[in-house]
Amino acid sequence: MKKLTLKSAVAALALIAAAPAAMAADLVIGLRAGPDSIDPHWSTLGSQAEALRHVFDTLVDVDEKLQLKPGLAVSWEPIDDTTWEFKMREGVKFHDGTDFTAEDAKFSIERIPQVTGPMPMTLYTKYVDSVEVVDDYTLRVKTKGMAPSLPNDFTRLFVVPSETGMEAGNEEFNSGEKAIGTGPYTFVSWQPKGDLVLERFDDYWGGQAAWETVTRREIPEDTSRVAALRSGEVDLINYVPASDYLAMKNDGDIETFVSDSVYILNIAPSVKDEEPQPIKVNGEEVEGNPLQDLRVRKALDLAINRDVLVNVVLEGLGTPANQLMPEGFFGYSPELGEREYDIEKAKELLAQAGYPEGFEIDFTCTNNRVPGDAVVCEALAQMWSRLGLKVNAQALNGTVFFPAAAREEYTMTMSAWGTLTGEAAYTYGALVHTKDPEKGFGNFNRAGYSNPEFDKVFGEGAQTLDPEARKKLYEEASFIAMEDRALIPTVILQTVWAANADTIEMTPRVDQETRAYAITPVE
Amino acid sequence: MLSYFVTRLAQAVVVVFAMSVIVFVGVFAIGNPIDVMIDPGATAEIRQKLIEQYGLDQPLVVQYWTFLQNVAQGDLGNSMVYNIPVVDLVFSRFPATLELVLVSVLIAVGVGIPAGLWAGYRPESLGAKMIMALSVLGFSVPTFWIGMLLIMGFAVELGWLPSGGRGDEATVFGITSSLFTPDGWSHVIMPAINLSLFKMGLMIRLTRAGMVEAMGTDYVKFARAQGLPDRQIVFRHILRNISIPIVTVLGLELGSTLAFAVVTESVFNWPGVGKLIIDSILQLDRPVMVSYLIMVVILFVLINLVVDLVYARLDPRVRLKGGA
Repeated sequence: MKKLTLKSAVAALALIAAAPAAMAADLVIGLRAGPDSIDPHWSTLGSQAEALRHVFDTLVDVDEKLQLKPGLAVSWEPIDDTTWEFKMREGVKFHDGTDFTAEDAKFSIERIPQVTGPMPMTLYTKYVDSVEVVDDYTLRVKTKGMAPSLPNDFTRLFVVPSETGMEAGNEEFNSGEKAIGTGPYTFVSWQPKGDLVLERFDDYWGGQAAWETVTRREIPEDTSRVAALRSGEVDLINYVPASDYLAMKNDGDIETFVSDSVYILNIAPSVKDEEPQPIKVNGEEVEGNPLQDLRVRKALDLAINRDVLVNVVLEGLGTPANQLMPEGFFGYSPELGEREYDIEKAKELLAQAGYPEGFEIDFTCTNNRVPGDAVVCEALAQMWSRLGLKVNAQALNGTVFFPAAAREEYTMTMSAWGTLTGEAAYTYGALVHTKDPEKGFGNFNRAGYSNPEFDKVFGEGAQTLDPEARKKLYEEASFIAMEDRALIPTVILQTVWAANADTIEMTPRVDQETRAYAITPVE
Repeated sequence: MLSYFVTRLAQAVVVVFAMSVIVFVGVFAIGNPIDVMIDPGATAEIRQKLIEQYGLDQPLVVQYWTFLQNVAQGDLGNSMVYNIPVVDLVFSRFPATLELVLVSVLIAVGVGIPAGLWAGYRPESLGAKMIMALSVLGFSVPTFWIGMLLIMGFAVELGWLPSGGRGDEATVFGITSSLFTPDGWSHVIMPAINLSLFKMGLMIRLTRAGMVEAMGTDYVKFARAQGLPDRQIVFRHILRNISIPIVTVLGLELGSTLAFAVVTESVFNWPGVGKLIIDSILQLDRPVMVSYLIMVVILFVLINLVVDLVYARLDPRVRLKGGA
């Protein structure tokens, strides 16, 4: 009798759970991370911007390849060295029915310094000196000095109505009272670390989205996210771990979407006069720093078999890289050829440089920052040992690695860098340019690299407002830095999404964002 | 009785105060949270402004004094990540953890104690041996792994139960809980079982050990000689006598599970406080770390107080005296 009741209880539970998880018009997404607040001016966190994009629009938008495209601003151009003019889109409505005008954009720019938190959005307004509304649909921004990258900064500039008022803060946004944007979805509810529930906004200027309601559910644990998809609780998940990707590829019930990410694993050889950790031949410290010799850096590069890294080490989830940004980014150099793998040539170059027997070198990497960093690290050490080097590879937790790397304690490192802005100034300015705290360049140049030729071309680009001319200069700068092996790029990491087969269509994005309004159901 | 309470309260205040110092110094030693949170693109100027804004440029003693002043006014500060008062943040998630832990403790006690009694009552029987073998599994197999197995079995393969999250809530007598809805139960049952396994193993072994010992004592022999049925001897006399260690361990376990049920919460995506505190530590969200740990200390003090009261009820020889 007792057993029977238990059985019927289980059956009852089963019935409840088996109820249809979602109607065709609803989309439930399982995500690794969600927003920290509904206030769009609170933090720069990527998962924050990704979520709030559904409710709020930015002045400038980015496409799947992170290249600029019109958002609430339809066009922008510099009218003199320190003034940008943005033309606003007409006929845009906020969720409360009011019209969007340049006044709202001005208010949003000015609101940021008042409310932003410890991940400050003032980053995106640091060049703004003052904002002037010329008419309802024209906005002029005076900049502190020349600011060619202002439109890039405005890709994270979410617009709220000017009626919001400066005193409105986090509480009013989280409750939904002030969570009013022009985006494709209206805000319904949100719990920190819980579900963000959204409802379609029918008057959206960009055309109605496909799903009536969207639930963005935070499931940080990788295996739990996969289980949620497999049990039908969610329709789509992001950041599928590599181990599950292989199984899913062979599973007819599941469809995967793969895209290059902005993250590239780069090797940074220190070229300081004295390397931080000694390089040795036969146990004796060598005179000078061998890594200063371009032939040595080239030899290291030639000894890397990128196909093996991609297909064997990363189980297919990567693309060979020949520069610090993926193809199509602003300043990506099309002139650079594919990196070749030639161990004989590498040995020759090493011998010419005076190290026919190789040397002993320390090599330090992260082991938990991006998928595959530790395994790529070990594989590189093995590849270099075929060159005759003795490589002491060490993969460390990021909380240990980054502070030590910032103190410049390592001779050679490998870590991931993501070109989150989609343009070269962000990456090359931080990693390759000579350290110059005054101008804010070289903040992450821990290798002591300094190339006057590069600095000149790059600096010229940073002072060029014309986009075409700037692009050319950045391409040239990329070319110089990469040919000189300032850093050695290895592989572009890929991101995987997964959904039930034949249910949705989506174009995966290089910035790893999951935008519900860009996803459509399969008819 | 009153002096007992006053003494305990005074002790509690001292413990909480000492804990706040330890936590504050520890958190200070880890480093500047701004360096962990800030975007790589930020300028030195933006960084410096933030550090001043959050008072992180002040010496440790000054920061601690400011914190104490705020606490005295009932303000534990705002989370640096969520910009929500810490108290609100913790209490928005505490009910979920409380539900999970209560159900799991009920399962652990409801299954563990009877099983332990049986295993001690007939130690040589096959059933007793199986119970003991299972109890070993209960606390030797990792929670994480069992959780995954449960999900794979009941959520993915059989599709009977949801793989994670918390179910619908309902309000009964002013209390809002997911335990009032069938959907809530379908969500809580797997994580609760998962969380209960360790405690269940513990309960079984503790109860069995007490039972075996008690079975050989004089009072049991006399009770038997008196002709009392075994059922009455076990539940009336033995269980009461062996309860003190069980209640002690249960109290401690209850506290630690409430505070740190993090593995189960992550695997089952349960929106409890355990996950909150781990994320706060990773992001160095100082106000949440400090305040949460202090709340945990208060929780432990309260639970120990309840445990002491239960002792007195169970064993009249235990007196609640001041200074005890």
